[in-house]
Amino acid sequence: MRLFFIALAAAILPGQALAANQVALDNNVFVERVSTDASGKQRVLLEEPKVVVPGDKLVFVLNYRNASAQPADKFVITNPMPAAVSFADAGDTRPFVSVDGGKTWGLLPEMTVRMSDGSSRAAQPADVTHVRWAFQKPIPAGGTGKLMFRGIVK
Amino acid sequence: MMKAPVGGAMHQYRIPAISSLALAFALALPMQAQAAGTRAGSTISNTASASYDSGGGTQTVDSNQVDLRVDELLDVTVDSSDPADVPTTPGATAQLLTFSVTNNGNGEESFALSTVANGGGDDYDPAVTQIYIDNGDGVFDANTDTLYTPGANDPVLDPDESVTIFVLSTTPGGVADGDRGTVSLVAASRTGTGAPGTSFTGQGEGGGDAVVGSTGADGQDQGAFVVSAATVSLVKSAVVVDPFGGSEPVPGATITYTIVATVAGSGSVNSLAITDNIPADTSYVAGSITLGGTAQTDAADTDAGDFNGTRINVALGTVAGGQTRTVTFRTTID
Repeated sequence: MRLFFIALAAAILPGQALAANQVALDNNVFVERVSTDASGKQRVLLEEPKVVVPGDKLVFVLNYRNASAQPADKFVITNPMPAAVSFADAGDTRPFVSVDGGKTWGLLPEMTVRMSDGSSRAAQPADVTHVRWAFQKPIPAGGTGKLMFRGIVK
Repeated sequence: MMKAPVGGAMHQYRIPAISSLALAFALALPMQAQAAGTRAGSTISNTASASYDSGGGTQTVDSNQVDLRVDELLDVTVDSSDPADVPTTPGATAQLLTFSVTNNGNGEESFALSTVANGGGDDYDPAVTQIYIDNGDGVFDANTDTLYTPGANDPVLDPDESVTIFVLSTTPGGVADGDRGTVSLVAASRTGTGAPGTSFTGQGEGGGDAVVGSTGADGQDQGAFVVSAATVSLVKSAVVVDPFGGSEPVPGATITYTIVATVAGSGSVNSLAITDNIPADTSYVAGSITLGGTAQTDAADTDAGDFNGTRINVALGTVAGGQTRTVTFRTTID
């Protein structure tokens, strides 16, 4: 099982020649700004930032669309965490994550991190190096969807 | 760890509109204290990729890349390094308080230093005389540390870097035992200070903006002195025993002098010594000095007492407030 996924990870490394662009993947990043109004109520605003500072909360949104006439099977979306962003959560989208640079994958509560002394501890959100959604059913022709995860600027 | 080769998620994700999503998860994010974090001026790039099979083998597609520039966050904290109130005495000069100033921002920043000695909440105002920037050894030495001149040699700190600052003060002469006097050291970002979120366009490291962080880009902490004074009072008494069993000061009578030294206050006195000349027309009784009931030799040696032919001397060393020392010696009337 693990070997299979290593092979899969290798297959989707960027730099390979792309086939006809039948599936579109659109990437948007928003920053959450919390403002407090005169009555003391907090409002969360999502802004499309050009600049951020450490501690900012980012929302990564991935929109996909199967523009082809064929269903897209074995659909897998992978997003390596930018080095300066710490993973926080992925809402209820339940992605697989990797905490070892993409070598092994699983749901975050099942992952462990090996310590330098040989022991292991439960993985924390900040350990996540990659986020991946793997679809069990094909995306039908014309199908669209949206995925999200959140991170914090380190 | 894996449950299925491809799985873990349903076919179609449907998530609510972005704004309500954000509200739903806003409280789940930890409000973590940031270390300096990603260096100002660096770029965060995000790209996702997808792979799929439309019947002709695995195909891959990359998303667009989103680049975010990291701006400079201005944050600084000041911490008093003195674990407790620093003892001082009335009129003492060059009284030392130690602070550390830390750049919690993510860019190199210089900080202006100032002090507040009249902040209230204490009994007196120490008179701040100098601020020194430590040379790195953490120990104050006016010869090797740098005298601070505002605007001329403001400390420049990298992200996460700290510097030790020494503040020297004079304690006013009129303070009483137990009085407290506080001094706050203030460090303010030279780029600017203000409410968190205040932005200084183009003034950040790397050409971006500088944004005031949660500390307001200035920090301060308070150090305190406590006056620890002590006073010494001496009470001398004499008991005469004459050769006939009475108490008449006649020739041949023995006078036993008792000197009680009482130290009062929260401080202590150093190098306290009791010296008493042998009165005229009397003779010192050899070997008669006692300290706290313990006999002392007349030689100037390892014990506290000595007699040099004209006076007795008892060296008491350091005596803390609330303690007493009792010295006795005898003479005979010539």
